[in-house]
Amino acid sequence: MFTKNGPNEDVKRTLSMLDVRRKLIDDTPAKELPKTYAVNQLADALHPGFIKATIKEIKPCSKNSKVITLSAKKFPYFRAGQYVTISVKINGKVVTRPYSIMSSPNDALMGKLELGVQTAGYVSTYLTTQAKVGETVLVSEPIGDFHHDSIRDEDTIYALAGGSGITPFVSMIKAIIEGSENFKLVILYGVKSKADLMLDITKIKDDRIKIIPVYSDEKVEGAENGFLTKELIKKYLPEKASIFMCGANLMYQFVKKELAALQFDLHQIRSETNCAVDQKIDNPREFNLIVHMRDEVYQIKAKENESLLVAMERAGLAAPSRCRGGHCGFCHSRLIKGSYVAPKEYEHRRLADFKFKYIHPCSTYPSSDMEIDVPPVDELKEF
Amino acid sequence: MKKNYDVIVIGAGNGGLAAALAVLNKGKTCLVLEKHNLPGGFATSFVRGRFEFEASLHEFNGIGTKEEPGSCGVLFNALGVSDKIDWVPLHEAYRLISLEENIDVTVPLGKEKVIALGDKLCEGGSKYMKDFLELAGSISDAMTYLGECHGKPDPNVMKTKYINYMTTCSYSFKEVMDKLNYPSIIRKVLTGYWSYLGAKEDDMSFVHLANMINSYFTKGACVPTLRSHGLSLAFEERIHELGGDIYFNSKVAKILTDETGHVSGVKLVNGQEYYTRHVIANCSPHNVFSTMLDKKAIPERALKLTNYRKFAGRGFTVFLGLNKSPKELGINEHSYFIYSSSDNIKVYKEMGKLPHTAGQATVCLNNALPDCSPKGTTILYITTLFTEDAWSKVSEKDYVKMKNQMAEGLIKQFEDALHINLHDHIEELAIASPVTYAHYCLHPQGVIYGYYSQYNDGLMYRIQMVNEDAYVPGLRIGGGYGERLDGFPSSYKSGANEGARTLGDIAKEGK
Repeated sequence: MFTKNGPNEDVKRTLSMLDVRRKLIDDTPAKELPKTYAVNQLADALHPGFIKATIKEIKPCSKNSKVITLSAKKFPYFRAGQYVTISVKINGKVVTRPYSIMSSPNDALMGKLELGVQTAGYVSTYLTTQAKVGETVLVSEPIGDFHHDSIRDEDTIYALAGGSGITPFVSMIKAIIEGSENFKLVILYGVKSKADLMLDITKIKDDRIKIIPVYSDEKVEGAENGFLTKELIKKYLPEKASIFMCGANLMYQFVKKELAALQFDLHQIRSETNCAVDQKIDNPREFNLIVHMRDEVYQIKAKENESLLVAMERAGLAAPSRCRGGHCGFCHSRLIKGSYVAPKEYEHRRLADFKFKYIHPCSTYPSSDMEIDVPPVDELKEF
Repeated sequence: MKKNYDVIVIGAGNGGLAAALAVLNKGKTCLVLEKHNLPGGFATSFVRGRFEFEASLHEFNGIGTKEEPGSCGVLFNALGVSDKIDWVPLHEAYRLISLEENIDVTVPLGKEKVIALGDKLCEGGSKYMKDFLELAGSISDAMTYLGECHGKPDPNVMKTKYINYMTTCSYSFKEVMDKLNYPSIIRKVLTGYWSYLGAKEDDMSFVHLANMINSYFTKGACVPTLRSHGLSLAFEERIHELGGDIYFNSKVAKILTDETGHVSGVKLVNGQEYYTRHVIANCSPHNVFSTMLDKKAIPERALKLTNYRKFAGRGFTVFLGLNKSPKELGINEHSYFIYSSSDNIKVYKEMGKLPHTAGQATVCLNNALPDCSPKGTTILYITTLFTEDAWSKVSEKDYVKMKNQMAEGLIKQFEDALHINLHDHIEELAIASPVTYAHYCLHPQGVIYGYYSQYNDGLMYRIQMVNEDAYVPGLRIGGGYGERLDGFPSSYKSGANEGARTLGDIAKEGK
């Protein structure tokens, strides 16, 4: 038997424990409790969720793209290379798309955020051709891990950019110059022609930044021409560098083959995920989709070739939308009934999601009538 | 449209999920409201590249086996989730490295093995190990008995059969261990788990830590095959099976009360209201009593109690996806405790600073689940605590720098302790700081361990005063801030207990 001060005394202490605590509580003042804490305020500053912003300026960037400048009191400080989503109302319906931030982290604190938007898809075309200065949009907090990291990455990033895939690297250039990021950057920048360049290379004079344009459709004297081939990649390869890739899926396929030929381990190459696109299906079928959002139930239509998220946006539902490429998990939803197709290139679900039947609607396509339970995003509804 | 429920649970963390199942299993209607888009709170996982990281769970104690379920195994059976979860048992308790004294000991699981280890540590060491496990075992038995008689024990049984409980209960771990006067190496090796409870030994109640050590050493531990996200989804599936509702992206702004001060419903941030007379809050009382209740509905005593309490550790975790196998890297164990010193009072103090390398609890998941990441890769996560609100001075601009500086120190500490290299093999990296925990789970200051186990606010005080500590009629608070303190088994149990108490409250109303 254990005893410290004799069994009687020890037991007595045990029996009077609660009275001791009661008295300690009695003696504590009934002050009002703090409503928040510095750490929680920092969390809110970095992760405000959605921010109401105004389009401040729309100006041409390249032949086929524009810079959309957004203004708010303040945007969160971010890591150059990250993206935001922007939600706009087109024909009375809210649609949301991700765009890499093209401005600098310090600019964000001053309430300025620039997006480089190429006239291409539904929302991009709206933004470059129809959106008006003064229009209110909803911007997400900055997200994503396509950024330099002092622990994970080498001191140099070797960037392989294609077309508008240059935008996250433009932010990195600005961040290096203003001093908010500290690494070296070598960019192999594949574009069709000089008119397609989304930044003025001649204006960047910094030892830490080197940009090599590679023109595919135009012969430019003294410049590199063609595609991002293994020869070109090798020619400009820094001694020790982390490789970052941003561009269209077709470019990824091509460059990955080239990198593999150079004996690179493709797992060590970081590439920014693209949005899941419509599936190529002739005469796509149309299915009934039942969507539960809290206690609301919606019956809508969903086309076989379009993601469930597109179907929900088309129906005007406040559906969660972030990366649209299956990997951020923001649209994590429960499958109640039905079958679907989830293309492998967008498959980033958690193991347990398969067992318990959860899907990422942004990259899931219906192959029957379906019923799903989706976490609603109230901010989109109220916007 | 259903707006009325017997019970509404705020927060789908472990405590909230268990509370919901406790009431649903008895035929009550229940709605769970969660601010995040996933269930589980800390019990979750996330994907980076080709890795799925476990967000929080190191090892789960108390599941036992199918044939012989442990206390949490029994609870999971009762809640109806056992069939939905697969477990893998662990082989060793931990490898303990104490840098100051050059201690490096791997502690096995299993009573006989732990006793056998004793003689390898010092002469006669096995006898001390045996003595300790006997003492701790008798305390565990007493606690089981107290649970079985619902806190109304026979005083004579307590004073005879469970006398060790009665003589140790009021003392701290330090007070009892000083008196036992074991050889120092035995005491140091036995105390490895202290950081799981996050309290230094002069605060930590002896019966709490002794029961935990005994439970791990003699009953073992395991991990779920599908990360703790698999646990949370198993609970969610069961909630649906029992007709419960669970809404995500649904942050509760207010707990509504009627003119008598009794709970009458909740109001979401978006203004939507749901009605009930019974709320179980799986969140911090500091949040409940500062912003969620109307001032007039907050009893003075609730403010006194909440002010009396002290926050426990704020969390910090570095998640590494490495592009070599554990074997290639030289990581052979599942759990590591690496402390700058065996003096946990000193380590606890060091943990108040930012940055610090006072200590870490680290897990290599592959050494429990070999296939948890692709062939030739490793998942390693390093966790430590901040015993003070050290991140409160960090600015928005310096945040990433500070996070990385802190993480660098922990990675290097692990490398140095094991004489290995991680740095050249980091393919994926994620860092969770107190700010991250504050963001996802709204915990004040990024606390992950609920309320600190102060000398007079330890496990047995809380369990015995749990009814007395509930002040708002219709409101129960469970989870990591609850009676059983932090941790996976504790938060599930405390949630289920609050569920059971709520059933009692409902039954009383019916009369």
